[in-house]
Amino acid sequence: MAITDIIKKTCKSLGENNKPTYVVMAIAAVKGICRPAFTMMDKTENPETKKYTALREGLTEVIAIPAYWACGEIAGKSAKKIFNSDAALAGRAEKNLMFMGVCTAALFVIPALCSVAIKPIMDKIGLKSPKDNEKNNKPSDPSPVIKPAQLTPPVTALNTFPRMSTFTSRPQTGLRVGGL
Amino acid sequence: MIGAVKSFVTSSQLANIAQNTTQSVAIETTLKSIGRPGFILIDKDIDSDTKQYAAAKEFLYQATCLGVYMALIVPVFKKGGFKLAKNVLFKNTEGFEHFKDVKAYMHYRKLADNPSVNNRLKTLEKERLTDKTKIKDKYDEILQAELAKEKPEKFAYVKGAVELSNIIGSVLGLAILAPQVSHAFIHPALRFLGLEKKKAKEVEHISKVDTKA
Repeated sequence: MAITDIIKKTCKSLGENNKPTYVVMAIAAVKGICRPAFTMMDKTENPETKKYTALREGLTEVIAIPAYWACGEIAGKSAKKIFNSDAALAGRAEKNLMFMGVCTAALFVIPALCSVAIKPIMDKIGLKSPKDNEKNNKPSDPSPVIKPAQLTPPVTALNTFPRMSTFTSRPQTGLRVGGL
Repeated sequence: MIGAVKSFVTSSQLANIAQNTTQSVAIETTLKSIGRPGFILIDKDIDSDTKQYAAAKEFLYQATCLGVYMALIVPVFKKGGFKLAKNVLFKNTEGFEHFKDVKAYMHYRKLADNPSVNNRLKTLEKERLTDKTKIKDKYDEILQAELAKEKPEKFAYVKGAVELSNIIGSVLGLAILAPQVSHAFIHPALRFLGLEKKKAKEVEHISKVDTKA
């Protein structure tokens, strides 16, 4: 099949039913590829930070794609069930609720999923945020207080008289009786 | 209350918006630009300066996305996609020759989506405010005959070509172009608002305190 035929088929199906999930999923898929690539190309950033940020951005979009799809489809299916008595109403309600589902996903579901899932995934992969790394690398006391040197006077013996034994030539071991 | 919700959920105008790529993306981006900064500001775990900074940054990012999208992508891809489809892809396909541009097709499609034949015919007889000609004069005889039918031909591939072009434009605009533009625009804007300077001052202050200690 030629490319033009594929495009024509796509155009026809989009013209008949252009689901709101298509465009948001396409945007998320391209963002998931391009944003990490742009981050990795940044020459001013530290490589570890780049790796962490790129993976985080990629993961966000990986979470976003199924979230958009699921929210849209669930909302659409529920519309069909609610308005099953009237086909025309059901058709319109399906489109409208699918759109609302996509908006809900963008506003609430994706940020919530990301805040719950990304950190544990990053920890499992073994990548920690640059902030955490800084914390770990820092010594336990970030601002060690240098204590002023205490000038203690040298311990001097109060008895200044030399011990007489210093001058003795006698051996200092063995039993001695009397005298020095 | 239930009646209002039901009429909103089954509204044909909302269904048209939901089926239109540009309108649905624009609405979604607008909601994001209001909602996300709002949620950041509600968060009680962050200190007020960081909240302000993050909320302003998020708002500016979404606003830039919306601006780029509306200013560049909508006119270029909507009109360009229609022209490309008419002159290249669907050159020998019946349907495109009835419409001069996207606007003419969208107007026809809106009428064709109206389930009541009477309402359609009444609309065709109305006069336009701009040049006092009747609306039906915009359409050739074939289209007028179609609109008089119970189920008029909607020329799905014309709409599909426009939507496909809009999807490609949206992807290029929001995933590639808008982040680059916002990257260049956000920091000067934050500095202009006095949010980034304040942050920098804070850091400077903290570092001074540290060195003194």
